[in-house]
Amino acid sequence: MADRTFEMTLERLFAEEPPFRDGELFAARVTEKIHRGWTFRQFLIGSLGLLGGVIGGGQMLSSGLVSRLSVVTAASRHLVSSRLADLASARVLPGGLALNSEVVWMAGALAAVAVGLALTRGIRDI
Amino acid sequence: MATTQAHTAAAHDLELVALSAAGSPAAFGELVRRHGASVRGLLRRMGADGALADDLAQDAFLAAYEQIAEFRGDGAFQAWVKRIAARLYVKRWRKDARTDLMAEPPEPGGLNDPVQRGVEGRIDLDQALRALSPAERLCVSLCYGAGLSHGEAALALNSPLGTVKSHVKRGLDKLRDRLAPGRDISASENEIHG
Repeated sequence: MADRTFEMTLERLFAEEPPFRDGELFAARVTEKIHRGWTFRQFLIGSLGLLGGVIGGGQMLSSGLVSRLSVVTAASRHLVSSRLADLASARVLPGGLALNSEVVWMAGALAAVAVGLALTRGIRDI
Repeated sequence: MATTQAHTAAAHDLELVALSAAGSPAAFGELVRRHGASVRGLLRRMGADGALADDLAQDAFLAAYEQIAEFRGDGAFQAWVKRIAARLYVKRWRKDARTDLMAEPPEPGGLNDPVQRGVEGRIDLDQALRALSPAERLCVSLCYGAGLSHGEAALALNSPLGTVKSHVKRGLDKLRDRLAPGRDISASENEIHG
């Protein structure tokens, strides 16, 4: 029992904080190191991202991806236009809507933005 | 800005931990302000000199910031950082174990030593700890200052459990004698260094 009492006394003595006059300075040093670490990481990540982007962009250009994409885009535009013409002739869409490929692309972009916002909100809630 | 600082200063530790985990260095700075002295004091009591104690305390807080998402709040933040700091010191101690074990107990600090500037009563433990061997001091500090169990201390020190227990027992016996009510601390000092 006496042992336990002494142990509790010892724990209490250890819990007493010695006074430090430079407590603020110590805290400032730690936060400065944290800031410095984050700045370095942001710089590193940014630099690596830029480097990766340049390399990726160079690879895409050198592989002729742009010309291939333009061919694919032209084909898909033709396909979408013909589908829209079919839909318009079948009177599926509201009569007053001037439907063309630009409207469809814009609707698609808005949908993508909406999905992005929903995902952002969901991730923040998690 | 002032409102944010006031909110940070008034916030509970757990709230500050959550803010730190969300990437607020200001919130973590407040935690360092609150618990810095405690961690620095523990490292000194474990046997580190002032400069080493402050370096390790800084490292401990930086490690805590890195791992802040792992802090579940099932204990006090201060205890968590103390354990990190204690393990860092043990790591350092194991690296320099040979010299530390052979070293004489450190001389009492000068006038610039923060512990020496403390009020009477707080000095008792620090002076009494100087009567212990480095190993006893380390084991006692780990178990009663950092809150490690004997088993955890043995694991951290990579020593047999029995060895740690005997260091703790011998250390406690010495401390019990030194901290006994009515004991003249200056007399103890003379016994230690005389």
